[in-house]
Amino acid sequence: MWTLLINILLVATHLGEFWPFSIFPMFSQAGKEWSRGVVEQVEDSSRADLWETKSISEIENRILPLKDYGIHEIDFANFITKTKVWNEKRLNGMRSTFQIDQYPGEMWLATRVRGYMDERDSVVIEAIPMFLFTADTTIKNPHLFPEP
Amino acid sequence: MMRVLQNLFQLDDPDSVGTKIQLRAFEFFAVIYTLIYTWEWAFYIPRLSDVVLPLGLANYLDISIFFSNDISIYNAVLISLFTLVPLLLKRVRWLYAIAFVLFHLQHVARFSQGEIPHSANLVAFSLMGLGLAALFFKGMKKELSFAFGFTLFFFGLGYTSAAISKLVATGVTWVDGYHLWLWMGEKSIDILSLQGEFQYNWLQELAFNSRFLATLILSFGLITELLGFTIWFKKLRPYIVIMLIGMHVGIDLTMNIFFKTFTIQLIIMGFFWNRYINVIPGIEALNEHPLVKKILLY
Repeated sequence: MWTLLINILLVATHLGEFWPFSIFPMFSQAGKEWSRGVVEQVEDSSRADLWETKSISEIENRILPLKDYGIHEIDFANFITKTKVWNEKRLNGMRSTFQIDQYPGEMWLATRVRGYMDERDSVVIEAIPMFLFTADTTIKNPHLFPEP
Repeated sequence: MMRVLQNLFQLDDPDSVGTKIQLRAFEFFAVIYTLIYTWEWAFYIPRLSDVVLPLGLANYLDISIFFSNDISIYNAVLISLFTLVPLLLKRVRWLYAIAFVLFHLQHVARFSQGEIPHSANLVAFSLMGLGLAALFFKGMKKELSFAFGFTLFFFGLGYTSAAISKLVATGVTWVDGYHLWLWMGEKSIDILSLQGEFQYNWLQELAFNSRFLATLILSFGLITELLGFTIWFKKLRPYIVIMLIGMHVGIDLTMNIFFKTFTIQLIIMGFFWNRYINVIPGIEALNEHPLVKKILLY
């Protein structure tokens, strides 16, 4: 009985989560637009559509398999979708997760993926490029982060 | 209330070999999976650099002290010691309680990046149950029975509260097949991101082609979760466990998320293995076998 009380108290005061105590809210909000993340491998960074939002089908044959680089795909998705302010610390945090410094010559485009139902009841999935990482630089999408 | 407590904590024939084997299997499972998670997280945590979302004790401690160094490895060594000693020597079993706190820290360090996974929750409840049992009860028989019932209680509470969360957040329309379409799309991106490629399977294709089928799949899931609390009752336990395992297989096929740890634990705890073992001819002799008694039983 007291364990149940502790459970209720902890989850009530910690937004439903005080591991392992939980109200298990996963998938409770149905029908909402969602956001995830993928990394696109880029060969030509001067490509005209590089920074354009596009359908996921246009880039799905160029997706970096994160498992081959020891990167946790859900962590990456959360990092890119839940970060509200992209300051230097956050960008360096993502660089450190990627460890791209160890892959000279590689160009990785961190991309947010958005899914929603359109008016024809079809699932629409679009890719929004955010940051281009190389071994020594980080370039922000100029459409999303215009220079002051 | 008394009926629930009896169903959770009173095992049939507590001194039989079957009951001892089932309870020790539960304990071995809890320790093995604690160690699997602990070491998996230990090697990942040093790569982290910033706390995106603090969980549990990370709300009160600066959990970033675990990042960019070997603290998570040292913590894993301690958790290993504090679980293997009580498991194998059957002594100083209160070490399980300390191991649980360290396991919590390892979890909140690993999952400080925004994801709130639940795959290790029941392993943690098992470890917590073993720790509490050692602090409040004397003797393996009482301790293991308590930890077993304690974990079953949280199994039931967890599933039913998950269903209630869905009804509160969305309502009965949660089961609408459109919602499954959206989730299947979402999980396809996670797999694409992980593997660099993704193809929908036969069930996903069928569900995309039929809103009715998609609604049926979600309805089965919601009803099963809602009935999760019936695991507290011995008579209903095997039936709800079969439904829950079926639900997990369905989640795997439609959303590519397999709750392997939950499923294995449901199999160990949800059926009356003790009764099945006890009918094996000559099995009671194990109770007197010195080596078996020393390592496996009690």
